[in-house]
Amino acid sequence: MSINRQQARQRLEDMAVALDRMPYIVRMGRLFNETVLIEIDGNEFYLAFDKGKVAEIKEGPSKKLPWRFALRAQGQALWEFWQPLPRPGYHDIFGLVKYGYGRIDGDILILIKNLRYFKEFMALGRQEANP
Amino acid sequence: MTAYIEAILGRYVNLAINGVAHRIYFEEAGQGRPVLCLHTAGADTRQWRFVLNDPDFTNEHRYISFDMPWHGKSLPPEGFETEEYLLTTEAYIDAILSLCIALKLDRPLLAGCSMGGRIALQLAALYPDRFSGFIAIEASDFQPAWYDIDWFHRPDAHGGEMGAALVSANIAPQAPKPERWNTQWMFMQSGPGVFRGDLSFYTQDDSLIARLGAIDTTKTPVHIMCGEYDMTCTPEDARRTAEAIQGATLAIMKDLGHFPMSENPKAFKPYFMRAMKHMAASTAELTEA
Repeated sequence: MSINRQQARQRLEDMAVALDRMPYIVRMGRLFNETVLIEIDGNEFYLAFDKGKVAEIKEGPSKKLPWRFALRAQGQALWEFWQPLPRPGYHDIFGLVKYGYGRIDGDILILIKNLRYFKEFMALGRQEANP
Repeated sequence: MTAYIEAILGRYVNLAINGVAHRIYFEEAGQGRPVLCLHTAGADTRQWRFVLNDPDFTNEHRYISFDMPWHGKSLPPEGFETEEYLLTTEAYIDAILSLCIALKLDRPLLAGCSMGGRIALQLAALYPDRFSGFIAIEASDFQPAWYDIDWFHRPDAHGGEMGAALVSANIAPQAPKPERWNTQWMFMQSGPGVFRGDLSFYTQDDSLIARLGAIDTTKTPVHIMCGEYDMTCTPEDARRTAEAIQGATLAIMKDLGHFPMSENPKAFKPYFMRAMKHMAASTAELTEA
């Protein structure tokens, strides 16, 4: 299944709302004030994080909006990633990169320093499989 | 809940490793032929606690697990404060052989995971007569790093938290939540620079590749196990390695990742039971022959 621009935007907005209900994740990201580009099937979404919350989602395409790091992925692969029990290779953002379904660009050290926070955020698009 | 005390007993042994005094923590449970269990990079004996607490295993064998120097409750050697920790194949082998001598383990089975699996295969090639069989879990000939190992030892960030977040990529989504997080906790607790120093061995020493052909499974059996969700040592990596060792056997494990005995002990148990039965059958055959 591919994800169109509207579905992708809706998923990211739902994740931002879910984040607001997760104080432990917000706390983890309390020093995270960066813009992250999430590109899904070429559709650009610039997520401005402020003190661990998503303050704004701007849509591209844009050559002017600055971002700190980017996760670019195939919509199909992200859809698999967001399944409750993803298949091997689709179960982690680094899996998407390793198996060629996506790539990470930009200041990767900032991502690594906030890796758990960002992974927890990305996983908010996934329904819980193991409560 | 009702309080209970586990069967695992923990002790310390003081011994020389490569001529340097060390205080090493080890724990054990069970009776019978010894099985020495090796933890992964950046972790400690706690990864093996489900096996050591399971009578289905410990009724048959004596299981021993130890914290490598710098790991868990083993101290780093005197003078560590001026040393850069970088594990080498030679130092790793010396630690294992010295511990076997100190604990008077007579040809134990060796079961190692990740870097422990890698060194098990090195020992299968270099010191087969010191062991009765090798179970190499999440083990392969060589993996270069797809990340920068220096990320995990920096003054401006917590290496343990970053390491745990990195290795979470290798835990299968089927892992029960408590064990997923307990598995990561060990990485979070790892001493500064220790995970990096282990990764230096794991991602830069490719000397095993040339030695695989020297492993003689007609003398000591080799069984390789790999979780289908392991992205560090993928099933393809494990298969390539098993194919390079004449007579080695391979099991690809469903619903498991890079830390099978720790992340999902229930899913791991049947695979490890089969591995132990395979070791028993192979060594019996070899003894008769």
